[in-house]
Amino acid sequence: MLRIEGIQKSFGGFMAVNGANLGVQKGEIVAVIGPNGAGKTTLFNLITGIIKPDGGRVIFKEEEITGLPAYRICKKGMSRSFQVVNIFSRLTVFENVQIAVLSRHGKTFNLFTPSRKLLIEETSDILQSVGLTDKGRSVSGSLSHGDQKALEIAIALGGHPELLILDEPTAGLSPEETIRCIDLIKRLSADLGLTILFCEHDMELVFAIANRIMVMVRGKSIIQGLPADVRCNREVQDAYLGESESGVCLA
Amino acid sequence: MEFLSSICPPEILCQILVGLSRMTILFIVASGLTLILGVLRIPNIAHGSLYMIGAFVAFSVSKWFGGGTTGFWMAVVLAPFAVALLSLVVERGIFAHLYEREHLMLLLLTFSFALILGDLVKVVWGGEYRTVQLPGSFKGPIPVESLPIPIYNIFLVIIGPFVALGLWFFTNKTKIGKISRAAAVDREMVGAVGINVSWVFAIVFVIGCFLAGMGGALVSPIVNITLGMDHTLIMEAFLIVIMGGLGNVWGALLGALIFGLTQSLGILIWPQFGIVFPYAAAVTVLLFRPTGLLKSTW
Amino acid sequence: MATLNIRGKESWLVPILFILLLVFPLVLTRFYTYLLALIFVSGLAAMSLNLVLGYGGIYQFHHAVFYGVGAYGAALTITKLGYSPWIGFLVGPLLAAFISLVMGAICVRLSKLYFGMLQISLGSLVWAIVYRWYSFTGGDDGIHGVSMPDLIGSTTGSYYFTLLVTAACLIAMYLIVKSPFGSALQGIRDNPVRSEAVGVNVKLHQLVALVIAGFFAGVAGVLFIVVDNSAFPDMLFWTLSLEILIMCLLGGWLTFLGPMLGAAMMVALRTFASTFTEYWTLIQGIILMLVIIFLPEGVLGYVNAKFKQLGNLASGGKA
Repeated sequence: MLRIEGIQKSFGGFMAVNGANLGVQKGEIVAVIGPNGAGKTTLFNLITGIIKPDGGRVIFKEEEITGLPAYRICKKGMSRSFQVVNIFSRLTVFENVQIAVLSRHGKTFNLFTPSRKLLIEETSDILQSVGLTDKGRSVSGSLSHGDQKALEIAIALGGHPELLILDEPTAGLSPEETIRCIDLIKRLSADLGLTILFCEHDMELVFAIANRIMVMVRGKSIIQGLPADVRCNREVQDAYLGESESGVCLA
Repeated sequence: MEFLSSICPPEILCQILVGLSRMTILFIVASGLTLILGVLRIPNIAHGSLYMIGAFVAFSVSKWFGGGTTGFWMAVVLAPFAVALLSLVVERGIFAHLYEREHLMLLLLTFSFALILGDLVKVVWGGEYRTVQLPGSFKGPIPVESLPIPIYNIFLVIIGPFVALGLWFFTNKTKIGKISRAAAVDREMVGAVGINVSWVFAIVFVIGCFLAGMGGALVSPIVNITLGMDHTLIMEAFLIVIMGGLGNVWGALLGALIFGLTQSLGILIWPQFGIVFPYAAAVTVLLFRPTGLLKSTW
Repeated sequence: MATLNIRGKESWLVPILFILLLVFPLVLTRFYTYLLALIFVSGLAAMSLNLVLGYGGIYQFHHAVFYGVGAYGAALTITKLGYSPWIGFLVGPLLAAFISLVMGAICVRLSKLYFGMLQISLGSLVWAIVYRWYSFTGGDDGIHGVSMPDLIGSTTGSYYFTLLVTAACLIAMYLIVKSPFGSALQGIRDNPVRSEAVGVNVKLHQLVALVIAGFFAGVAGVLFIVVDNSAFPDMLFWTLSLEILIMCLLGGWLTFLGPMLGAAMMVALRTFASTFTEYWTLIQGIILMLVIIFLPEGVLGYVNAKFKQLGNLASGGKA
């Protein structure tokens, strides 16, 4: 469904992403892991068009989308959440999700129908699926961090994506919230049949839900494979533990 | 110098000289504006008012010393310091507490100062036209070619580069200048290494305002000093700063050159629309280089 | 959104206010009728700015250009081209919208302060042309004595015309703000990157918003002609743009009616202050400074926040 070939991006001489490859099949849950600063978020920004790559290709549903603006890529069926909470902070929770839904239905140039009458059900369903129904009327900027992370995912779902990209969905969450988040991701995959690509620090979470794992180190993808293969891969252990301790399997 | 007139008729030479002296004034004011914009990130609309105050103070000082040569020199030296002192009070009293606000708020705040200072000038000096006398030695026409403009214009053209050099020395060779350049890029970083950023800002702000006062003092003998002289000037200074690249002092010099020359030569080409030329030049520059000619510090 | 909720409990206020405004000219002197009409004009200009500033988060520093272009467009169509005033009234806003389209297309490439700076440069160019083109625009003298149809020629007639047009524009703007386009615009204000990521073409929406705002500013300019029968270059000078910005800020730029309230306060204050002092600008500056320091969300924003606090206390302190 998604194929990335040798994608590159440098910021003022620093190679943030330096030839990463990645493939995601329909229906899979794929995780990208790697140490801090490995370029995971940059990779996601490159895929979703937030920034333009210097080289390499992004192919989505057999169509090259390299360097297209983010709003066009979104319309092709790819939505994402952000690592740092990135919401419409002065609007209510409901309005946050509704914007994404309105946008997917191409209604954002509609000037005279009141928003409050449009696509209410679809928006409510999404809020329900992430457990924010009773907070719909709250101003999103005033929510707790956990709720804002849930809203992050809800906004991404508003685009009704085939491929959902989650950038560290559990960053900063409490253990209970993390469990809820894992459940949510599993449900989205099982019930809605979404293909999910995510990156994560929490190894337990990664090995609990990912079908396949891609490891990034210093802007390069070093391996992509089944969790068991990745766990015992020599290079991965080097990257994570330093060479002296290699020989044991991760997590 | 005979060959000059053979390639360039006197009236054009005259306008070029007027344009260059105009450029000096514009550069001095705009460099202060761009310095503040680059380091403190404040688009200081009150800068024009400080320029006007510089001119009015120059008038008062010159009158106090009985006009003539002494009056003129005292005015040119003292007026910028008076303006700098005023700006220090404003900075420490109000701005220092509000740096964290949005640009839009800071912009409007400086506008409120422009309004207040503008009316205070009216309170102190009244609404009449004022003039500062040029010293006798500056009055005469330029001897070479006997161009019908005062020698003072030559004096202005000579001063410009010195101000530019002084600013270059300040930003590149002095400690405060270096810190301020670093603070322009990363405020927290500079604060984290134990430097009192607040006072660095204050010094930069005061130097910027000093330049506004200096511009006002230098322009005082060749224009009618009047209320409202701040309004067009600040717009021109802003255009120059944008054209040159926000925060870039050399950009301000380049912008002032373009502005001064298009203004003075534009009048020659099409007198009625003389003032349109520099605005059109600024727009043309920004169409092709929306962030200015030289590198912005933003 | 912290807005005075016109749909909610306070909705009965609107028709009452409208009826009061309809009755006012019968009881007020001509001067106060004129003053009220002037408030509508300034308020409409401020609200049109707020469409892009408060709702769109676009730093439109030089909005008065469109106000002035609307006024000049109408005045010149009537005086120079000799068409009927009604045609002039249409030409003004359309010309303003067109200029806004051109300027917007150039400026939306940039964001925030850079947008504002470029926009102010372009606006200054328009001002400079109007200011010097004596043969066509009357230069710094402006245009005076634009003749109006009999129906709206009197003070009362112009008042009612202004009131009705302003009301119509307010309704249209309210619908726009509450429409999907309005939602998208507010989303762009809060978070342009996220908007782009959910599939909103940010630049295009901003451009459309700018054109709409330019159009309504043009309507305000036309109404000024109706009320004052004149147009002058100061209507496009940058100081007026900042005055309009102050109106938005003073009333509350995150509220729908805030800018209208701000305009009412400014016009009223200016009128009364100038009867006893020549230092109105000083007072204006001090008020502005105090508002920025103590009421950054404006008067209506402050009132709304207070009401919300009270409401939350009443409903058991839920956030």
